[in-house]
Amino acid sequence: MAAADSCDGISTSGGGWEKTVTLVSSDDARFEVREAAASLSQTVRRMIRAGGDGGIPLPKVDARTLSTVLEYCNKHAAVPAPAPESSSAEAAAVDLEWFDKELMHVDLATLCSLIRAADYLEVAGLLDLTCKTVADMIKSKTAEEIRQMFGIQNDFTPEEEEQLSRENAGVFE
Amino acid sequence: MSTPHSSSTSSSPAPHRASPPQIPQSLTLAPPTASSASPSSSSASGMRDAAEDDSDSPPSQMSEDDPGGGGGDRWEPDLRGGNGGGGRWAPPDQVLENVLESVLEFLTAARDRNAASLVCRSWYRAEAQTRRELFIGNCYAVSPRRAVERFGGLRSVVLKGKPRFADFSLVPYGWGAYVSPWVAALGPAYPRLERICLKRMTISDDDLHLVAKSFPLFRELSLVCCDGFSTVGLAAIAKLCRHLRVLDLIEDYVEDEDDELVDWISKFPESNTSLESLVFDCVSVPFNFEALEVLVARSPALRRLRVNHHVSVEQLRRLMARAPQLTHFGTGAFRSEAAPGGGLSVTELATSFAASRSLICLSGFRDVNPEYLPAIYPVCAKLTSLNFSFASLTAEELKPVIRNCINLRTFWVLDTVGDEGLRAVADTCSELRELRVFPLDASEDSEGSVSDVGLQAISEGCRKLESILYFCQRMTNAAVIAMSKNCPDLVVFRLCIMGRHRPDRITGEPMDDGFGAIVMNCKKLTRLSVSGLLTDKAFAYIGKYGKLIKTLSVAFAGNSDMSLQYIFEGCTKLQKLEVRDSPFSDKGLLSGLNYFYNMRFLWMNSCRLTMRGCKDVAQQMQNLVVEVIKDHPDDEGEAEIVDKLYLYRSLAGPRNDAPPFVTLL
Repeated sequence: MAAADSCDGISTSGGGWEKTVTLVSSDDARFEVREAAASLSQTVRRMIRAGGDGGIPLPKVDARTLSTVLEYCNKHAAVPAPAPESSSAEAAAVDLEWFDKELMHVDLATLCSLIRAADYLEVAGLLDLTCKTVADMIKSKTAEEIRQMFGIQNDFTPEEEEQLSRENAGVFE
Repeated sequence: MSTPHSSSTSSSPAPHRASPPQIPQSLTLAPPTASSASPSSSSASGMRDAAEDDSDSPPSQMSEDDPGGGGGDRWEPDLRGGNGGGGRWAPPDQVLENVLESVLEFLTAARDRNAASLVCRSWYRAEAQTRRELFIGNCYAVSPRRAVERFGGLRSVVLKGKPRFADFSLVPYGWGAYVSPWVAALGPAYPRLERICLKRMTISDDDLHLVAKSFPLFRELSLVCCDGFSTVGLAAIAKLCRHLRVLDLIEDYVEDEDDELVDWISKFPESNTSLESLVFDCVSVPFNFEALEVLVARSPALRRLRVNHHVSVEQLRRLMARAPQLTHFGTGAFRSEAAPGGGLSVTELATSFAASRSLICLSGFRDVNPEYLPAIYPVCAKLTSLNFSFASLTAEELKPVIRNCINLRTFWVLDTVGDEGLRAVADTCSELRELRVFPLDASEDSEGSVSDVGLQAISEGCRKLESILYFCQRMTNAAVIAMSKNCPDLVVFRLCIMGRHRPDRITGEPMDDGFGAIVMNCKKLTRLSVSGLLTDKAFAYIGKYGKLIKTLSVAFAGNSDMSLQYIFEGCTKLQKLEVRDSPFSDKGLLSGLNYFYNMRFLWMNSCRLTMRGCKDVAQQMQNLVVEVIKDHPDDEGEAEIVDKLYLYRSLAGPRNDAPPFVTLL
């Protein structure tokens, strides 16, 4: 990847030389991140390529959300790729799974912020993770419970709703 | 979405049975409601269209439509999430709008998906676009057109056809359940369809050919208890489905006109090396063994192979040498093709089995020579499933095998096993979950060689049993009660006492208390088959305690219409009820009026129903199809006594492919 102006410099971490970039949240907080981690976001990756001064502005993500997103990126970008089926690969997978699970222990509003950020930043893994978490919350709920959970208005006519219920129960069991 | 539609909403009067399929047409559109008229929502629906073209692309690609611009103006403060540090959040439903399809992709159970589809219109559309698997328990319950109209991107379709009693030859030949209209509708609608699974349907060679032509990514075909096709259709599937992984033909009736036999096995193209499962033990015609051997050799992913009875032990050995990775194996005949004394030795065959280290499931034995049985000893300890239901073996022949099968979970066997053989099962197989004992001779006055003694033994030794099917002639309440107490995890209990009205063989009492104990003590029971001498009392128990029963089969039982009433009123989860040769009349039938709409079907044959009673039901129940089937298709005119009644709910109205011996009321 070509060096870009938005790369703030070179830092020594873990004994190696790594490029970092600075990301700026909607509320003007600055985050210095390893480029490898930031590049898990396709949006950021494109902006790095495009170049620019003074850090990458992310006007749609606030500091609190961005910090969680970066926590995810740092963790996932840090994982080396050991030989598949080795015991260390298995251990790393278990560790990641545990990390993801912990990261999703948030309230619904925070989860939705994360979804929105993951969608905007195009962090595919985080988007999958958050969407799956929402799907798990929906499981075993009735339509009315789901509406209440997300504050959704029922815009079916009563006739439509009855017909659909009948079709769901009687045909597409 | 391109379907012509009227602009009227679906607030039309309640659908009438005889009218065309009632479709909530307004639901198939994208109505510009207040909440979905914003620009960002139209971009979201554009995303959905893209998703329809290529919904396998990860969400990150789907959101390329909106690479960072727009939408920001829709951000509004959300006070509900007030624990954050001053961030700006959109309400959850607005956030979800963008990613709803990605969320729903993770929802797999039909029940959850049905709930999601009822939330609101945008959820309905997103759910319809992301449903991948469709299960339809009765192919006449809905029109193919409606299914295709509603769901946009199916990958897998499971369809069931004839009533279950077709397995007992109670449904006349030519009754229906043709898959043709379904294949014709699915073809143009789902170019990415990968899997079709049919049960008790009629599928012609032309249908199979159309399947093969319609779905370029097709991977899996399972036909269970189907008929209507021959090796010609199988050849089309083998040849044209280049990505085929699974071809499972299970208990099908395959047409075998000698002059039209096709060497279908050799039609698998050489480029297909991804076969995972090939099951054709029911295809009884000879086939090209050398072609199979080559196919197996180039299929490293093959895990399941079940061959027909033309395969000898010598050929078996060659197959095993080619595919040591098999986990499921159907052995074919299990007999030597050579003259007595000249065939493969047991030791040689045993060596092959010993080398098949992955085997956990063994079936076949369709023309077994018991002398070869010791050859499977090396794998017995690892087997979790063993099917001897085609092998007429005595207890003496079976016992040495059984004693090695310490890990068996599933065991199917003929009643030639005897009570003594079942005792060996009880002594050895403490992990057993499912037992099926089939009759060698299914006639009502056969001797039957298993009894209450074998059942009692099983209940004592196999306490983890969850499912049992047991054909016998002699039974006692005590044995059934013992099973109810010893096996509290039973989910399926099907006891078929083949002779009519047989009481407890020791006390002479009805079997009421035995079945009563089952429903009382087995709290997880969802499927029950009853038989033997039974009075209304048994059904009172079933209605009172059988609260989870979904499927109930009744044969030769009950003494009045009260029996049916107890069931209808008590078994609130009942989905499928099949009754034969029982003294139930119109009164009993009509006691179910309020419940039929909660059930998938009711089948009754050789009871005391009249045409008047059936018509009564038909008139009172909309969305219910009432079929009266004549026993003898040649009978002229309308008889007052009803031979067979098949009643099911349907949103498609009466079918148009009924043969003359079926009257739709």
